[in-house]
Amino acid sequence: MKYNITIAITFFVLIIVFSSCQKVINLDLNSASPQIVIEGNVYDQSGPYLVKISQTVNFDESNVYSPVTGAIVEISDNDGNSEILTEPSSGSYITSALQGVSGRTYTLTVISKGKTYTASSTMPNPVNIDSIYLEKNMFGNEKIVSVNFTDPVNISNYYHLIEFINNGRQTGFNVTDDNLNQGEIISYSFMSAGNVSKLETGDNVTVWLESIDENVYEYFRTAGRDGGQSSSPSNPTSNISNGALGYFNACSVRTISIIAQ
Amino acid sequence: MIKKSIYFIFIFLLFFDSIRAQQQYTISGFIRDAKTGEELIGATVSIKELPGKGVSTNAYGFYSITLPSGNYEVKSQYMGYEPISKQIVLNKSLKLDFTLNESSQKLQEVVITSKKNDENVTRTQMGLQKMDIKEINNIPVLFGEKDMLKTIQLLPGIKSAGEGNSGFNVRGGASDQNLILLDEATVYNASHLMGFFSVFNSDAIKDMSVYKGNEPAEYGGRLSSVIDIKMKDGNDKKYSVNGGIGLISSRLTVEGPIVKDKGSFIVSARRTYADLFLKLLKDTTLNQAKLFFYDVNAKANYRINDKNRVYLSGYFGKDALGISSFGINWGNATGTIRWNHLFSDRLFSNTSLIFSNYDYKINVNMGSEMNIISQIQDYNIKQDFQYYAGIKSTLKFGYNSTYHKIIPGAITTADNTSMKNLTNRYAWENAFYLSHQYKFSGKTSIEYGSRVTIFSLLGPGNFYTYDNKGNALDTAKYSSGQFVKTYIYIEPRATFNYVINQKSSVKASYARNVQNLHLLSNSTSGNPTDLWIPSSNNVKPEIADQTSLGYYRNFNDNKYEFSIETYYKSLQNQIDYKNGAELNFNDNVESQLLFGKGRAYGLELLFKKKYGKFNGWISYTLSRTERKFDEINNGNYYPAKQDRTHDISIVGIYEISKRWTLSATWVYNTGSAVTFPAGKYQIDGETKFYYTERNASRMPAYHRLDIGATWIRKKMDKFESSWTFSLYNAYGYNNAYTITFRDSKSDPSKTEAVQTTLFKFVPSITYNFKF
Repeated sequence: MKYNITIAITFFVLIIVFSSCQKVINLDLNSASPQIVIEGNVYDQSGPYLVKISQTVNFDESNVYSPVTGAIVEISDNDGNSEILTEPSSGSYITSALQGVSGRTYTLTVISKGKTYTASSTMPNPVNIDSIYLEKNMFGNEKIVSVNFTDPVNISNYYHLIEFINNGRQTGFNVTDDNLNQGEIISYSFMSAGNVSKLETGDNVTVWLESIDENVYEYFRTAGRDGGQSSSPSNPTSNISNGALGYFNACSVRTISIIAQ
Repeated sequence: MIKKSIYFIFIFLLFFDSIRAQQQYTISGFIRDAKTGEELIGATVSIKELPGKGVSTNAYGFYSITLPSGNYEVKSQYMGYEPISKQIVLNKSLKLDFTLNESSQKLQEVVITSKKNDENVTRTQMGLQKMDIKEINNIPVLFGEKDMLKTIQLLPGIKSAGEGNSGFNVRGGASDQNLILLDEATVYNASHLMGFFSVFNSDAIKDMSVYKGNEPAEYGGRLSSVIDIKMKDGNDKKYSVNGGIGLISSRLTVEGPIVKDKGSFIVSARRTYADLFLKLLKDTTLNQAKLFFYDVNAKANYRINDKNRVYLSGYFGKDALGISSFGINWGNATGTIRWNHLFSDRLFSNTSLIFSNYDYKINVNMGSEMNIISQIQDYNIKQDFQYYAGIKSTLKFGYNSTYHKIIPGAITTADNTSMKNLTNRYAWENAFYLSHQYKFSGKTSIEYGSRVTIFSLLGPGNFYTYDNKGNALDTAKYSSGQFVKTYIYIEPRATFNYVINQKSSVKASYARNVQNLHLLSNSTSGNPTDLWIPSSNNVKPEIADQTSLGYYRNFNDNKYEFSIETYYKSLQNQIDYKNGAELNFNDNVESQLLFGKGRAYGLELLFKKKYGKFNGWISYTLSRTERKFDEINNGNYYPAKQDRTHDISIVGIYEISKRWTLSATWVYNTGSAVTFPAGKYQIDGETKFYYTERNASRMPAYHRLDIGATWIRKKMDKFESSWTFSLYNAYGYNNAYTITFRDSKSDPSKTEAVQTTLFKFVPSITYNFKF
């Protein structure tokens, strides 16, 4: 009996000591005038390619990001090709004929409400994924997805990796460079604690490996660490001019899939 | 600057001239605790016939006073001890030691009226806080683990960097701008368990002084403060053991003579067992987690003869944290060898060889094992002289030469094969100082001097210069021992005290401090993996110039102490980080930094009741700390993270009876400056927050009440014991540790702000014993 009480007391103390408590609070946050947000991708796969344009809203509004319509959007490359994008649905602008080719530099121009935003991005050569496998998380017992790929020697490479579980895109900005593994095999594990779906046996897992240029890498890298524990959160470093949020990414992409066992 | 130095030397010579003219003898000696033989630091010796001309003992309990021949009554006193007076006939130089007895409770009322404890008014030094180790015992703290670094945060101008964070900010300085010395060795990371405890075991500590940027010239190397901690020497009369058993930690101290009255030792150790509680958890990952720290303080000393004494002291501490196949451990190790030598009864010398080390090791074992290590190491030789020129004049001078070695990061495999290495950095730091304390015949005293710091970054390695974007422009290769960059700075310091009457005084001071080691930390609370970097071709030494002014007033026979101090500090070459700066494992970490300036100013009030059944203090700080970087907030001044407008601490200790003592502390401060989002948007289907101005928002104000009680059991034979109970955050206020933003869990079409609270109602019980 006494033993039980001791355990109970200890457990009580423990709960107080090690469980921090979280609650949702009401904060009166500053508001800001709407800012333009541009997301554009060009792949070495066939199009159409999408450029999405939207606006910021205040924190306390609902997550509805009004599209920016009627913008003039053009993508051109350094080989003399260019195309004005059409807007089949509000805020979504698509190409019809343009074909992404690695090695070329693509320039995005957006004219909206009297302001011009430009960005350029060079599409690196593709890098193949050698293998995909599941392994145990370093911090726990659940399974995580890893891929191996071989970094091309003698040039700086930058990678953006995206994980899909049953075609559902997982959150998180996963990037790596070859700074510490120049020309070697790189293993990348998705430490996605914030995954939307938990990995179950039988799940279809697909990984995209995007070979990106340095400025796009810088965008995704800073996008991945702008909140959380940083004492000075800030906006990711965009490759688009004139204060627009977002990115323009011309990349080569390779994919691989596995069924989770 | 050179002109200034020449001027200093000139007036210094002038003082010497005036001394030589008279026929003089010297009284010198040590002041000790009668029971333990411990030398008392800062005990005073005064001469009844020459009021206002007292001296106080140095860090080794030594004093020296030179007077014209005659008959004198020499009185020695120290706070909490019964004063002793001795009649002397001074017709030759003589050695006069004092052994003081701790005043018993009953005597205290008598003592109050008989002793003049007006040091805060009369001493020249300003911006100095002394912490009485005995006082700390009664102040309630988290988990009942008494903690000096936490207690000093209840004093004006010294602010906690946040709950569960041993880091602190002195007069608006960053946490890396505090020089923390343990027996002269630099402690690079003063926190255990991610900041919930400090590394100092108060059982092993004799004395702690905190200088808030106005430190005398013998200290240097950090901008904001010096925390000078001295370990106990050990009882040289008899063996004694004391210890404590608490809920999450226990401690034990053993001390005793090596040779009675000649040498002694002390060993003090602590261990936490927080992970034993984790075993009770059901979660199979967490219940196998490792979470503990331990530390050991050890010191020995031996008096060879009247003129020579040697000390050996060391500290070793380790933290370990492990979850599944990931583990990290970190800790400090320091060692000090000291030799006190009296060249004459007026010239005291101390020579120290000091070693200091801080390292961390990350271990990842996923099939194959991998280790990441990082380390900062100092080898330091230090020579200090104190020359007691006369009753009016004391001179301090010396030098200090430190070799720093920094291993920013190295990855090895299980069998220690190196996989990757960042470039190691080496630096050699030399400092010379001279300072002179002089008491004018009237009511004025002055302490002035200067420190000269010569900091050299040494090879081998590649050294880069960067363009605005942080790309390496140029690489210079240096070989081992080559000088890459040298900075020379003169740091003048001066403090002036005008004693208006026995009860009040006015002080003014100016000090320049230069800092050549910088801690890179961009997280909300300090991490053990934060990196120290030396000044280099890209990183210029940080500089602070502080001017302060104070008024000190004691009431009711020094029973009450009141002080008001103001300061203005301007800071140069301050460090901030580029957006998304990559500070970990980056050879080009210097390219991730921004450089700017800062300013800090404030008003500090302290009202203290020093004696009686009820004692304690109220402290209030009104302050502002701002920074200015070209790249941040359009180059305008903005509040620094540690900017707190109001900061209040109230400490009360009430002795109900001989057995029971109650205590309470209440703290309140304005929330720190933070960056909250001004909007949101979506990228790749993910909600992102839009930030405008840096540090334009505030965390909610923080306040908390802690209460404690100590019950002392009746003394049995030689065995003494007590129970300490405490309750942290007694009214359970939900203080914000962090505020984060995310998509709402209940309504995915919304976003929400989430506040994390660490501690509400934390009770603790500790059993202390001594025999």
